Amino acid sequence: MAYDDEHLPNRSVKVDESSRAGGPPGPSAPAGRAAGSTPLLEITGMSKWFPGNLALDDVSLSVGAGEILALVGQNGSGKSTLIKVLAGFHDADGGDISVTLSDGEVYEGAKARPHLHFIHQDLGLVPTLSMIENLDLDRKSSWRDLLPSRTSDEVAAAQELLREFGTMFDVRAPIASLAPAERTIVAIVRAITGWTDPNSVLVLDEPTSSLNRTEVDRLFRAVRAVAARGAAIIFVSHRLDEVMDLADRVVVLRDGRKVADVERGGFDHDDLVRMIAGRELANFQHEAHAQDEAVPLIEIRGLRGHTVEDLTVGLRAGEVVGLGGLLGSGRDDVARLIYGGLPREQGEILIEGRVVTPKGPREAIAAGMGLVPADRAADGLVMTMTVAENLVLPHMSRLRTPAGNIKVSREKAETAKWIASTELRPQRAAAVVRLLSGGNQQKVVLAKWLRAEPKLLLLEEPTQGVDIGAKTMIYELIASAAQSGAAVLVSSSDAKELVQICDRVLVFRDGVVAASLSGAQLTEANIIQQSLRVFTPALDKGEADAG
Amino acid sequence: MPVDEPTHAATEVDEVPVERVEHVDQDPFEAEGEPSAARRVLSALSAGNISAIYVFVLLVVIFSIWVPDTFLTTETFKSLLDQQALPALVALALVVPLAAGVFDLSIGAAVGLGAILIAWLIQIKGVALVPALAISVVGAGLVGAVNGVLVTRMKIDSFIATLGTASIIAAMTFWISDQQILGLPSNLESIAATKLFGFTLPVYYVLVVTIVMWYVLERTPVGRRVYATGGNVDAARLSGVSTRTVVFVSFVICSTLAGIVGVLITARLGTGDPTVGPPYLLPAFTAAFLGATQFRGGRFNVWGTVLAVYVLAVGVKGLQLGGAPIWIPDLFNGTALILAVALAQYQRGATGSSHVNRLIARFKRQPDPEPTEV
Repeated sequence: MAYDDEHLPNRSVKVDESSRAGGPPGPSAPAGRAAGSTPLLEITGMSKWFPGNLALDDVSLSVGAGEILALVGQNGSGKSTLIKVLAGFHDADGGDISVTLSDGEVYEGAKARPHLHFIHQDLGLVPTLSMIENLDLDRKSSWRDLLPSRTSDEVAAAQELLREFGTMFDVRAPIASLAPAERTIVAIVRAITGWTDPNSVLVLDEPTSSLNRTEVDRLFRAVRAVAARGAAIIFVSHRLDEVMDLADRVVVLRDGRKVADVERGGFDHDDLVRMIAGRELANFQHEAHAQDEAVPLIEIRGLRGHTVEDLTVGLRAGEVVGLGGLLGSGRDDVARLIYGGLPREQGEILIEGRVVTPKGPREAIAAGMGLVPADRAADGLVMTMTVAENLVLPHMSRLRTPAGNIKVSREKAETAKWIASTELRPQRAAAVVRLLSGGNQQKVVLAKWLRAEPKLLLLEEPTQGVDIGAKTMIYELIASAAQSGAAVLVSSSDAKELVQICDRVLVFRDGVVAASLSGAQLTEANIIQQSLRVFTPALDKGEADAG
Repeated sequence: MPVDEPTHAATEVDEVPVERVEHVDQDPFEAEGEPSAARRVLSALSAGNISAIYVFVLLVVIFSIWVPDTFLTTETFKSLLDQQALPALVALALVVPLAAGVFDLSIGAAVGLGAILIAWLIQIKGVALVPALAISVVGAGLVGAVNGVLVTRMKIDSFIATLGTASIIAAMTFWISDQQILGLPSNLESIAATKLFGFTLPVYYVLVVTIVMWYVLERTPVGRRVYATGGNVDAARLSGVSTRTVVFVSFVICSTLAGIVGVLITARLGTGDPTVGPPYLLPAFTAAFLGATQFRGGRFNVWGTVLAVYVLAVGVKGLQLGGAPIWIPDLFNGTALILAVALAQYQRGATGSSHVNRLIARFKRQPDPEPTEV
């Protein structure tokens, strides 16, 4: 397997240096107002350790008043950690936060927090209440709350704010009945009404993930209006075209480090993709185990359902096929559609030329499939049961004696074998799974299915929330399953992981396979480009026109 | 900008480090390999695991000193076993749906239905004993089938569904007969009142049901599937467990057993009474929850439940013999339940996430005891 990544680190380093040479943000941001000499928010040397993982490594950044800063990076690059540290959800292991208000007053550390406002993806609104009622929730409670509220004044004030944001909707309607962009605007208004100073910081974490283009425009108008009032905006997004559209400046995080800090106009799509993706590959080396056969071991024909529009693919024994693409692009539903965990609209699944098309997990297991779900706590493990009990849950009948009970000695022998081969810690079959670390829990899920010797192993986000050591072990286990003749289908949001462990990667976009990458084509950059649809010449042209 | 912008974007799926932070401290003093035999015995005998047995001993000692003449007699213990056999059966019946992760609040009503059906069939309808027994038990079992359909097919939360059926069944019971049905034949009485080696038959029924249920729940794949369904229904389903069947059957078993208890109550009293069922509901829940804190570290289990029934009964009996007022049993049961569950919760904190305990453990640098987790 060849990795076409030689140029990536070099070029990203170049961007890095140039950005550092460019220094901190200046007033040159075209859309931003002239930021004063001191930035509104300044983060210096922020670090955060998680066991076995340096999530943030000496990250410094600053945002000026009226400036919109986009924070981009892959999953696990440290964006969320940075936001969580800012919000006070995690304590940093080093570094300072300071906020300088309009009157020149400087607030540091925890004292800066009241001036930081966060809009998370779930918005934190009560869907059954109206905008007015949601705004009321933030007020300090007092005995006056028992008096009738002066609704008409509140309505007028809320409408005034909406007008300023260039939008209008019924402020007395329940949040649930509003459009997604309107809900986000309500959340922004709620944040703003809590401000004691016009110069505050507003952090938007993936605010556009559920919005369509027109709604995004509506939201962006509102965001620009907030910036125009003198706020500093940090905007976290995966959608690079939006970043190009909105941001005055872009900070790229990768593996917990800031790798680029570039002004608007100082980068294009390609640069962004390179800066986000470019990193060296870890030590795991994939070897192809795919067997040459005329008939593929697994055939999936015309699969359709949920977010998947159409998928036809054949998998050979020993082949590891990756599914890349954004969340919601379809790739995250494929495994469950095959497995029968989600209802299928269409399509059939063949194993060894025989139509199996399971109606549910039971049939899927009987046909020789196994599913490692993305959310191991919710779907993968019975957390209150022991390692042994979880391990033998599928195919338990094998352990049965003629009397119908479980043969304890056999159960012990089998679980001991898997505990040893996965290097599980602690090495105890009787340990309750809930007490294990994330990586060890994931090993249990994987071992559970490897024990079943599946013909088709379906994996969703196999190393999510797993430390480096366990990650390597999980990759080895996946490789060993392929080696013993299983076909493996891995869905992952980590492009690097797909490149490392797959023979071939299908990149999904809008429910269909946008690209099938293998050999020299199979690179992180290609996966990201294909999933973000920024590399096809036609589109590039269209975007150039629009920009 | 392209017009057909995808309406979805990747969601950040960063690791959830909080979870890992808690565990890293544990690794150094976590035992490598299986714990030693001595440690296993010790943890099996720990107060957290079998607190009810210690309480039992304590109660016996206290009452033996307080009211030695009446408490410390074989008669007292014999009558306790006899009296508590039927409540124990109801509590055991309840263990099945609870283990499968669903509530059955209609269990008391099912007891009442079984109790009135048998009397009505024999006395009013003139049905022979054996078919009357069969119809009564199956009739009560149907309550479970209805619960099962409501919960597994119509996706109604078990708490609400069984609350509804409980009310409906209670109404049906009174519709069948709103007054006592007297003068039942003695052959019916014999199934509950016959004595064998000094104990009435229901004591042996408890023994049989306990052993069978223990075997199935703890020793067979079926039992594992029940507990897996109760522990995490989605994970169980994705691991190939027919969770809907598990839940449905658990309701049916529960109601059927409850119906049998109803028949036994009528047989014991010699009278069909429409009011006997519902009072069985709360003691059964108390015993099952208290039982879950015993032996199996938070899992609803058979032996723990039987133990809980009798520990509570001994406490109540002793207090009554000591001359306590009539409201004492309720007070005792409620206090015991809350104390036991609170203690178990505290212990769980100790092995799970309590910072104080992690600190202590770090000083000791000893292998963790067997986790007494739910």
